[in-house]
Amino acid sequence: MHGSFIHIFFEMNAYKFISAIYISLLALVLLFVFILGMVIYKKSIERKRKMWRDPIATIISQVIFFTEEESETFDIDFGNKKLLQNDLFRQCLIEEVIHARKNLTGTATTNLKKLYEILNLDKDSFKKVNSKRWHIKVKGLQELSVMEQVKYVKPIFRLTNNKNELVRAEAQSALISFYGFPGLRFLNITTYPISQWHQIQLLNNLNGPKPDNLDSIKKWLRSPNESVINFSLKLATFYNCYNVYESVINCLQHPGIQVRLGALDYLKKMPREDTPEKIIEIYPSGNKKIKLLILDILKEAGTEKQLLFLLKQLHNADNDIKASAAKTLSCLHPLGTAFLQTHLFADENPWKAIFLQIETERAA
Amino acid sequence: MTILVAEDEMIMLKTIELRLKKDGHEVISCQDGREAILKIGEFSPDLIITDIMMPFSSGLEIIETVRKKGGKKIPIIVLSAMGQENVVLEAFQLGADDYITKPFSPNELSMRVKRYNPSSVIL
Repeated sequence: MHGSFIHIFFEMNAYKFISAIYISLLALVLLFVFILGMVIYKKSIERKRKMWRDPIATIISQVIFFTEEESETFDIDFGNKKLLQNDLFRQCLIEEVIHARKNLTGTATTNLKKLYEILNLDKDSFKKVNSKRWHIKVKGLQELSVMEQVKYVKPIFRLTNNKNELVRAEAQSALISFYGFPGLRFLNITTYPISQWHQIQLLNNLNGPKPDNLDSIKKWLRSPNESVINFSLKLATFYNCYNVYESVINCLQHPGIQVRLGALDYLKKMPREDTPEKIIEIYPSGNKKIKLLILDILKEAGTEKQLLFLLKQLHNADNDIKASAAKTLSCLHPLGTAFLQTHLFADENPWKAIFLQIETERAA
Repeated sequence: MTILVAEDEMIMLKTIELRLKKDGHEVISCQDGREAILKIGEFSPDLIITDIMMPFSSGLEIIETVRKKGGKKIPIIVLSAMGQENVVLEAFQLGADDYITKPFSPNELSMRVKRYNPSSVIL
């Protein structure tokens, strides 16, 4: 009885074991077929792209040299017109037009834009913008931006506050490439943070002449979005906006450290008579970075009125603050470094090292 | 003039080729540096226009090879992308004569080429 049980048990397990092997093998074969299919599909796409690259380049290079009269009719021979209905061909065409657009200037770019519009390639790009997948959206936005498709500004504007960081960054960049400074109106509505990196990118893209009206910066400096204030401070510094001084002073009281640092950067570049006392007010509540920046600003903006404050900082426990205060004192005191040598124990550390540093910097 | 153009991007190559042909030049096109070096030896062009970043041999290697070879001094114009100042300087050190930064206007290229054409008169 016991022996037949063991026999049945082993027979069942052997059956299960063989079934498992069969299933695994089948899964492996299916996986292999899938991978093979994908490779063949990708290769065929690559082959088609290679095949089309040459005729597309020929067409585009012809279009680039169209005269004004030729560009009125835009008579282009595509050979097989059915190709223009092929999505992959159209995508290749878009990529090549955009590539050429990025590498060329002058009338060539106008002709390329015309070609893009006449073949309704802008609609293909806009279809991408409406995709649910973020990376396709971003691609569509880049295409519309490079090809200056201002007519899509409304849907692009809506995307400037998209939940996906890359989508909204691309939409924001597109608006600036269309309009320059007025394109920054998305700062009125954006609720998501603008990263430091993207702020620099946006500033780089603002390469036109200084706009006549910069009043919006004042409004953005009061934004509930901290990154908008931060970016507005960069804008105010970038454009040398003197008329936002009071708003910048208010930013010194902001709880965000980046905002206070941004305000100090502005004040370093555009100080006024009352700047030293305003920045000294926030000195006690600032972190080390803020304190060092304030001491640095005082070097240029300070007067003898701040000497007492600076003398107190020489007793700070932090050597960096000591050194910075000493440097500023040597700039503001009528006796210069000589004052420090009479006032302090010049032969003791850290003063010995600090003096040496100040002397070396002065000599340089 | 016989001009050798080395540029790996097909559209740029065709555009430059078409512009130069319209100006009446004979153009030898190459899509990589190695091909360019071979064709320079074969055709001995009057002018070389080369991109910097190319497969197999870069534009800098082309300049170096041409200048090392000696013989007739072939003028070389370098095509560089924005922000490649260091590479342009290196190209000049190796013996390049001129450079154009992308993006550029094909008409501007045409004018620059004219400077190296002995039969054209620049006022």
